[in-house]
Amino acid sequence: MPDFNPTQYAVPLFVIAVLVEMIWAKLRAPEAYEPKDTLISLSFGLGSTIAGALLGGFALAIFIEAYQYRLFDFGPQWWAVWWAWPVCFVLDDLAYYWVHRAGHRIRWMWAAHVNHHSSQHYNLSTALRQSWTGALTFGFLFAVPLVLLGFHPAMIAICSGFNLIYQFWIHTEAIKRMPRWFEAVMNTPSHHRVHHATNPRYLDRNYAGVFIIWDRMFGTFEPEVDDEAIRYGIVKQLGSFNLLWAVFHEWIGMLSDIWRAPLRHKLSYLLREPGWSHDGSRETSDMIRNRWRARVAAQGAPVASSVATRNPIAAGSEPA
Amino acid sequence: MDIPPLLLQTAGSLAAILALAGLAWWLKLGGAPVLVGDNDIRRVASEVEDGFEPLDWAVSQDHTAALARDAEGRIMLIRLHGNRFAGRILGAKAGARAAGDTLTVGCGETWFGKTRLIIANPNPWAEAINRISEPCHA
Repeated sequence: MPDFNPTQYAVPLFVIAVLVEMIWAKLRAPEAYEPKDTLISLSFGLGSTIAGALLGGFALAIFIEAYQYRLFDFGPQWWAVWWAWPVCFVLDDLAYYWVHRAGHRIRWMWAAHVNHHSSQHYNLSTALRQSWTGALTFGFLFAVPLVLLGFHPAMIAICSGFNLIYQFWIHTEAIKRMPRWFEAVMNTPSHHRVHHATNPRYLDRNYAGVFIIWDRMFGTFEPEVDDEAIRYGIVKQLGSFNLLWAVFHEWIGMLSDIWRAPLRHKLSYLLREPGWSHDGSRETSDMIRNRWRARVAAQGAPVASSVATRNPIAAGSEPA
Repeated sequence: MDIPPLLLQTAGSLAAILALAGLAWWLKLGGAPVLVGDNDIRRVASEVEDGFEPLDWAVSQDHTAALARDAEGRIMLIRLHGNRFAGRILGAKAGARAAGDTLTVGCGETWFGKTRLIIANPNPWAEAINRISEPCHA
């Protein structure tokens, strides 16, 4: 069995890439980075690695148990079945799409995933802003069907590692658009900027990991428009650089809501979408988008400059 | 002495984190945006709450914070956070205190903190904010 963790090897490349993007920012867009925000984002990354090392064994144990009940058997040398690797990678990416979508639509899961979105910046350090509490949401269960199909847990872990590595480079404002064919199939900086935006038109869109085709297939795709500046972060910005508050604020908010809610609504605060409230005092992303649509229809769309027009890399390429 | 790999990895990562954050500081990345005109207030207010249209506002002397009021009488507090702006529509837990030309506003959230604005005639703003705190407005 191969003992290989691709993300371990990628860490030095992550550091170098952040360094290069900082130099780009110095020359082109100094506002793209903010030292305290960078410190928080990278601390999230470190804490996430430690949490993964401490809690990851639970998911592995579930996978190994589930593997006993697999439908298909690739044999004792499963790693030598070459075609299983790309199939596993694509199916793992499909599972990622759904776990990611659930991470935005189920408050219990959002309580962990919000960490990745709570920066008001969008740069390569944001990519490393990963949750410490992901294991508490049982998101790994979305990959169990792959195990039951017969893909070995180690194969899935390696594919997930490469998936994570792919997603690193798309967290940048330095690249405007990739070539048209690439934008059509793959997740790109442009598509993922949309995902991190709080503009009403962009809320809860583009959940893809590697292949943007899942969003196109399941009706959650939204292209980036060039005449509207993107604002990043969460609907209610944190306004604090306290690391522990940044890690746990949504857990505290959710548990507080559950505590105070009438008995029949308690479960809804756990399982319904972020922003839902039993008395209608808050807004979900759908409500915000609908209110925005109604306002735009009545007044006409506001026009602003694109966030990515300063991009020096793909200036000549055609948008998808 | 054998050092556990996780400890070694953590120490290395911590060093890289501090180095990168230090580099961002050394390169003077970030900048300090300010609220300088009507368009800035309108833009930032609509970023805090989509559709919020300020009718009147007061900007702090240093241009890093502001209060804005819309047609419904809602009051929004805006302040600099890093090199971005963050804000809140003030609710029943908000409070304000005026002293001379200094107005200190809290939105009721511990971690959002209190914001100090230096504005001309802060008393009407303080009274309006403290009125929100009254139970009949909750």
